[in-house]
Amino acid sequence: MAWFPKFLNIWPAIAAAAIAIPALLVLYFLKLKRREMPVSSTLLWKKAIQDLQVNAPFQKLRRNLLLLLQMLLLILLLLALSRPITNYKPGAGKTSVLLIDRSASMAAKDCNGHSRLDEAKKRAKDFVSTMDRHASAMVIAFDDRAEAVQQFTEDVNKLKQAIDGIQQTDRLTKLKLAYQLAEAQIAYIPEQNRPNQPLPDVWIYSDGRVSDAQDLSIRANLNYDMIGTPEAGNIAVVALSAKRNYENPTKVQVFARLADYGPKPITAQVQLSVGIPNTDHPEQDDFTVRSIADVSLMPERWTDEQRDKAEKEQGLQRKDSVEFNIDLATAATLKVEQMHKDGDALADDDVAQVVVPPPKPLSVLLVTDGNWFMERLLNAPSLKLKNPQVMSPSSYEAKVPTDFDVIIFDRGYFPKKLPPAGNFIYLGSVGPGLKIKPVQENGKNVILEENSVLDWRREHPILRGLSLGKIGIARSLKLDVPTDSEILVDGVKGPLMVLHREGRSTHLILAFDILDTDWPNGRPSFPVFWYNALQFLAVGSDLDIRQSLEPGATPRIPRANLLRAGGDLKQIKLIGPEGTTNVPVLPTGDFALPALEKVGVYSTDPPIPQFERIAVNMLDPNESNVAPIEHAPGNPTIVSASTTGQKSRLELWWWIVACAALPLLLIEWWVYTRRVHL
Amino acid sequence: MTIATERKSGLLLDPQFMARLDQLDIMSRKLLTGKMKGERRSKRRGQSVEFADYRNYTIGDDLRFIDWNIYARLDKLFLKLFLEEEDLSLYLLCDVSKSCDFGNPNKALYIKQVAAALSYIGLVNYNRVNVVAMADGIVAETGGMRGRRRVPQMIDFISKLEPSGESHFADACKRFALAHRQKGVCVVLSDFFIKDGFEHGLKYVASGKYDLFCVQTLSPQEIEPDLQGDLKLKDIEDSDMAEVSITQPLMKQYKANLNAYCLALKDYVTRRGGTYLFSSTAVPFDTLVLNYLRERGLLG
Repeated sequence: MAWFPKFLNIWPAIAAAAIAIPALLVLYFLKLKRREMPVSSTLLWKKAIQDLQVNAPFQKLRRNLLLLLQMLLLILLLLALSRPITNYKPGAGKTSVLLIDRSASMAAKDCNGHSRLDEAKKRAKDFVSTMDRHASAMVIAFDDRAEAVQQFTEDVNKLKQAIDGIQQTDRLTKLKLAYQLAEAQIAYIPEQNRPNQPLPDVWIYSDGRVSDAQDLSIRANLNYDMIGTPEAGNIAVVALSAKRNYENPTKVQVFARLADYGPKPITAQVQLSVGIPNTDHPEQDDFTVRSIADVSLMPERWTDEQRDKAEKEQGLQRKDSVEFNIDLATAATLKVEQMHKDGDALADDDVAQVVVPPPKPLSVLLVTDGNWFMERLLNAPSLKLKNPQVMSPSSYEAKVPTDFDVIIFDRGYFPKKLPPAGNFIYLGSVGPGLKIKPVQENGKNVILEENSVLDWRREHPILRGLSLGKIGIARSLKLDVPTDSEILVDGVKGPLMVLHREGRSTHLILAFDILDTDWPNGRPSFPVFWYNALQFLAVGSDLDIRQSLEPGATPRIPRANLLRAGGDLKQIKLIGPEGTTNVPVLPTGDFALPALEKVGVYSTDPPIPQFERIAVNMLDPNESNVAPIEHAPGNPTIVSASTTGQKSRLELWWWIVACAALPLLLIEWWVYTRRVHL
Repeated sequence: MTIATERKSGLLLDPQFMARLDQLDIMSRKLLTGKMKGERRSKRRGQSVEFADYRNYTIGDDLRFIDWNIYARLDKLFLKLFLEEEDLSLYLLCDVSKSCDFGNPNKALYIKQVAAALSYIGLVNYNRVNVVAMADGIVAETGGMRGRRRVPQMIDFISKLEPSGESHFADACKRFALAHRQKGVCVVLSDFFIKDGFEHGLKYVASGKYDLFCVQTLSPQEIEPDLQGDLKLKDIEDSDMAEVSITQPLMKQYKANLNAYCLALKDYVTRRGGTYLFSSTAVPFDTLVLNYLRERGLLG
């Protein structure tokens, strides 16, 4: 019913009609009962009536044709009073910029079976068709980037081709870059720099779900065309995490949270599948369903009151998260998929995947002259370390082993060499050649006596849940900490624990030897600290579950991992949902993969440690929320032309008066003067 | 008096009135040629006793009319001419359409009484009297009658005329003019409420061959309508309706229109050499006949 006009002033018009129409009818119904009187001839009477009719307006009421005409006239005037409007789309202005959203949410198929991007393209092409001969327009496609797919041109065919060429992506939506690009392009038009020049038109074809709405502003005549329908349903996996149990690494816990962005509450099944690499094609996974759970979702658009009401009146129980516990002794890809596909507008967020490496204990090297506490700690079964080794400083200097995940330098031993990459923990010492170094006076390290803990970063993963306040420290190094290092524990006289990253290595520096403190003596924070520290340093190592990336991410592969995959790699084959791409490898430095545009699992060939498989998931509530926003992103005053037509509406009352009421009045006057029935 | 009461009494003219009518004769302002010998001076030269003129003798003229005295004096032959006396044709066109059956006194009765009086005068004076009843055409006609002995027949014919039908005045006049080529005095007795216009009919009888008299007869109810309130006026002739609310301005307008209508009729008739006479039925018809028609020169 888009053609049907809306009425801005409907209630006053209805009220006026309720009074005026019955009043007019009553005038007719109350027509006098006339007494019949014979006369010799009505000739002179009718002449007299006609002569008097101008002065006797109610004589007109006797003629039904006139009543009909008057009624029509009255209705038309009342209709005009109600200010009908229609969604008139004004044509393109002299200078227009078309911003077309191609983000993930535009893949929703809620526009009569077509995707939102198709609809946006169609509307944009319709708009371009209305351009005057000397009007120019440009086309920008945006997701979390902005790309000028067509510069300013007066060629309508070129514009249409550019619009047709826009491809769907799985990326998030950010509009700021598109605005900046549009402003920059507009600034190139010489006419726009003249004073008193009308602002160019900027048309946004989008569902309005942008993540940077707060930062938006543009100096242009902004128009917004909302794409999509509020009735579209979508169930999305909005969060997924998986972790191995550190105590029992073959156990994997998977948590998933789902959300219903449609208008109705829905009960859906969630399926967990485990993908094992295919023996013939290792880059592909063979999935088998391992578990199924139910979720009961309430629409996210509902208010708390609506949810409470639904719970009370319909007995709905909200359950929007699921937890799976499975045994997984090998590397695998876990896939969580919601199975309620009926009426689901967006498919990309129905699935989320995570890559689980094989359970592999951490390998740790302790370089010490002998430390009973540390040796006992590393051998504690709860840490599940893989063959922790102890090495004397001299042995270490001779060999400089590179195959350990973490190396601990104990008892104030300052190592002279370090492996090219790795994780290092120093107890009362600092590695060679680092930006962080001990403060020296007269060629000797400055030792701080009787230091104690002043404060610590309680929220840091290494120190989470620890109480360090009462640790007494007899001697500690005075450290010269660079500004880009994180001070985790601050002492009264200087920093006590610093996390320093340099090159491809991570260094956790404790300014004191633990034997110079009372920390190991029965304090529970001591083993917990080591557990945390080792796990933290293992982040990104093989023990950790791989992070999933958002579409468009460009993962950075450290050189060390490349070296581990093979010393002289010239190129890497990247296999993903888009197909296979050969990526050349630079001879030096870290290496960044090209943007992973599509949701799914990418694999590298040859497999690069930690990057054998990379899961790309949407997991973005903003993109999954398919309910379109009716006003322009970041500007609530501009309402979509396709919903209310406020910006592009056409008031019809003037047309009713001019094209219908006035001719009708003339006809009525003609009928009146014709005196046919008198 | 309605037509019904008139028929009961059987009298359109009472004897005393008829005796007074004996004194009168139909007058014509024109010298018209008649059809037969009569008592009316004719345009023709004839054999009456009244000298008219001389003319030169031509061979073949009757020698009896040569003026021998002139011959004796001038030695030339002149013929004496005398005026001819012929009869006069009197046409009485009576409107008997339904619209005349209205008013108190009734217009139709009044018209019939006037027609009876005029026809009586005509017959008594040896004029050729022809009464033509008009409604939707010519509905009845006496044909030419002469002489006193035709009076009962004439009165009977007139008294039997019954108002009915619509008025097709133009059609009736046309047919009358085509059928009666004999010149004479033509008296039209009607209310002249003719919706398609009296002009279309009168043009046939206002030509030179008739000495035209138009007597417009209206009832007092038409001249001064005694109406009040909201009325649906029904035309008794064609059942046409007019819804009116009687107001002072409407009455004023009606009277003005009536006056203008009568004036238009009078103007039309007089312009064509005819005579117009307005009469209300409230005026006794004998007054009309004995006074007004005499004053206007129809009777003498």
